[in-house]
Amino acid sequence: MEAINPQVVFYLFGLPITDTVVSTWVMMGVIIILALLIRRYIPDAAEMLLETINNIASSVMPESMNVIKYLPFLGALAIFLVLANIFSIFPMMVSPTANINTTFALALVVFFAVHIYGVREKGLWGYIKNFSKPIFLFPFEIISQLSRTLSLTLRLFGNIISTDLIVAIVFSLIPFIVPLPFAALGILTGVLQAYIFTILASLYITSAVEVEQTEQERRRLKEILEQSS
Amino acid sequence: MWQLDSSTLITVLTILASSIAIVLGCIIPALMEGKAVQKALDGITRQPDAANDLRTTLLISMALLESTAIYVLLVVLVLLFANPLLDRFF
Repeated sequence: MEAINPQVVFYLFGLPITDTVVSTWVMMGVIIILALLIRRYIPDAAEMLLETINNIASSVMPESMNVIKYLPFLGALAIFLVLANIFSIFPMMVSPTANINTTFALALVVFFAVHIYGVREKGLWGYIKNFSKPIFLFPFEIISQLSRTLSLTLRLFGNIISTDLIVAIVFSLIPFIVPLPFAALGILTGVLQAYIFTILASLYITSAVEVEQTEQERRRLKEILEQSS
Repeated sequence: MWQLDSSTLITVLTILASSIAIVLGCIIPALMEGKAVQKALDGITRQPDAANDLRTTLLISMALLESTAIYVLLVVLVLLFANPLLDRFF
């Protein structure tokens, strides 16, 4: 049980504070300090980072969409996840995403963001109508919305906890040098999972926002056809 | 016949079941992922211009395929470290 449950470090006003929460706080401080330093001394690096995230998002989103509008959300997600997934390589720290509550919170953020963007783009009624194209598919749409949140949670959590466990097991067998390749594999997996989480989030946002445009195009095509006939 | 009390029996059966589950749950997604990579490489060698699109699609589909193996891993972890059956019966 201790292997997959986070340890309680201390109690704050009666609330149990686990080690993943503490390392999340440390990580927030690290991110803020890094952001201030980079903005002050190497603005080119910040520009490169923005360009990278823009490329990732626009590799999934079609060109008709305004990618810049969703960059703050996706960028914050990407930066947080990259740092969170590789955070266990620092001594005394554990990955915040090795706790299922953290990944569930992130998946919930994506869930609500997708619906808020969809409603903002199409209006409430249009967005709900988009769900039930043939009316009998409505329950399946709801199930798919919920199961996609569950799968986002479990995928990230499982990947991070498995690489951490592998490093821990190999470390308990041979504590020298041998765990290093596994830790490197953990870094690779962490960065890849952050990329995949970001790209899936942008994919879901695309699927919530995009349909309106294709509908408009279809209507326009129909009008053109009617005019020509 | 061996004389096993029920909690030992449940533990042994759980370990057996989780070994079988993790073996099957590793082999099948690995084979299918290999198939996906093979097809994507075929596509890239035939049409190097489409490499970027193919890479993005490949990574997304690999993540979706991988998650089935991760579900198996999580079930096995729960069975091994936090077995609910032991608490229920004893």
